Amino acid sequence: MCACNCDCNHDHDYDHNSVSSTVTSNPLIPMRAKVINIVQETVDTKTFYISTLDGEKPFDPQPGQLGMLSLPDIGEAMFSVTNKGEKHIEMAIKAVGELTNALHEIEVGQEVGIRGPYGNGFPLDYCRGKDLLFIGGGIGLAPVRSLIMHCIRNREDYGKLTVVYGARSKGDLCFKEDLFENWPKVPNMELFITIDKEEEGWDGHVGFVPSYVEELAFKPQVTVLCGPPVMIKFTLPVLQKMGFAEKDIITTLEMRMKCGVGKCGRCNIGSKYVCLDGPVFTMEELKDLPPEY
Amino acid sequence: MLVAQKAKLREILNALSEEYQVAVPVQREGTSAFELYRDGIEVMFNGNTSISPKGMFFPQTEKMYGFKTVKNTTEFVSLPVEQGKRLLFGVRSCDMKSLDCLDQVFLTKGYIDEFYKQKRERTVIVALGCNEPGETCFCASLGLDPQKAAGADVHAYDLGEVIGFEAVTEAGQKVLDLLKNHLREQQFALPPVGEFYLKPEVAGVPEKLKGMFESPLWEEIARKCLNCGACTYVCPTCHCFDISQDVRGEKGIKYRCWDSCMFGEYTQMAGGHNPRPTKKERVRNRFMHKLNYFPERYNMLLCTGCGRCLDVCPVKMDITSIIQQIKEAK
Repeated sequence: MCACNCDCNHDHDYDHNSVSSTVTSNPLIPMRAKVINIVQETVDTKTFYISTLDGEKPFDPQPGQLGMLSLPDIGEAMFSVTNKGEKHIEMAIKAVGELTNALHEIEVGQEVGIRGPYGNGFPLDYCRGKDLLFIGGGIGLAPVRSLIMHCIRNREDYGKLTVVYGARSKGDLCFKEDLFENWPKVPNMELFITIDKEEEGWDGHVGFVPSYVEELAFKPQVTVLCGPPVMIKFTLPVLQKMGFAEKDIITTLEMRMKCGVGKCGRCNIGSKYVCLDGPVFTMEELKDLPPEY
Repeated sequence: MLVAQKAKLREILNALSEEYQVAVPVQREGTSAFELYRDGIEVMFNGNTSISPKGMFFPQTEKMYGFKTVKNTTEFVSLPVEQGKRLLFGVRSCDMKSLDCLDQVFLTKGYIDEFYKQKRERTVIVALGCNEPGETCFCASLGLDPQKAAGADVHAYDLGEVIGFEAVTEAGQKVLDLLKNHLREQQFALPPVGEFYLKPEVAGVPEKLKGMFESPLWEEIARKCLNCGACTYVCPTCHCFDISQDVRGEKGIKYRCWDSCMFGEYTQMAGGHNPRPTKKERVRNRFMHKLNYFPERYNMLLCTGCGRCLDVCPVKMDITSIIQQIKEAK
């Protein structure tokens, strides 16, 4: 539980009041922050590095937690925090709507609003010491990456790290620097990258993620997956066939959100709120909820 | 019991206005709502207001903060907050219960909604007991006492020519102390409560709904719903909100406003996916939320039996008959 004695789900110490301490302790009011770096991941995805105006980390998210990012004159939306550094947090954002398209127009130095961290994050205690299989599709690697980076930073605390990642084409692969330069150097870490269709200049695997996972025939372990609904839908039966227990299949969900703190109503699945009780759920937990996500 | 002549209510409210900003139920061109009291305003005693007092705590539109965007800079500006003590006179049992529901949402589970809390904390509530249930009322079936509203600071009773007062909390006692010169002690028994026309049996419904997510009932109920959202606006417990902004050049105001789970955009995601794409899912979510999800999360129904949704629905959707249909469903 939190040190503040609230009845929230955070199993770590964090100060709710730090969330927007520069303006007020009101959880709905963002703090002023700025974009200090932008990485073009694919043609429609960029990673934004965000710091406070005095160059500090806006908040300290756990892997899998969320942040509400805003260009106040356009809107505000919830994104997973894909990584954190000493003095910044990173959000990988695909241009799909009004706000995300506006974000793709901004340049380094742009000031933004941010509030968070929100949600439960990945169950680190449960994952510790185990071999982990990460499965991602497209931009779905973004939330999973926060845990991969955490495991790399704390390499001795986790077993073997295996990543299966697929995208439509070579150009659609996010985090190329990690995939092709950084992660291959990490001890006891294996990468399996696939694209949907053959293309020139690609000599890697071709095919969809679910069948690739089946082909690779992993032994049951803890798996963390995130991707488009169709990838999840076809990967789950494969994992179950391979003998993965429902409690060992972990995913992270998205929903439209406005408040981020379990009040505004819309992100519910049954009696759970994705912003507060999620976004991370095990298959075992999802089984008890209505299939409405 | 402390009592005052009803004819003296004006003097009482005038006296309270010296200490509090007072709001009372008022009839206004075919509709009724809580309004700020002014000397001489006629207080509505007959039945409940068509608009619930939830807006006194959770306004239909509420400015949250200001901002200024110049070139690539962004500044946030806090807005002045109205201060001072308020007093609501004439809140009915159903609407008092709705504040209990809203308290759960806005004040628990790790995050406190400061906008709501600030208004709640500066408000003293004088509840007014109901003797004669309205045609669409069913609070008693949900376990409420129509004459004594749980959670109020003062209970007021309509005793015909006189109004009876009983302080329940310390804040309520302060209110009655202010009225010392207007009240006298007299024995009065509360009149019997009239017969309720609607008596839905809600026992077992939350539990039964747990297994009814895929029931054909939802399709059937949804068929006549227009998804107009009127029920959600008049509901004293509905609390969903949207956050948006008014922008004028470099300056803007971020506000929140009531939203409705009946609208498709409510859950529409930027990428195109909508987890509740049709009327069926939206209607199901509304009734599941009121009768199953909310009880699961907060251990109480998200319905208080005020009957406003029955009054306002253009196609006569009736939550009491839906409760009945849930009971009868196989």
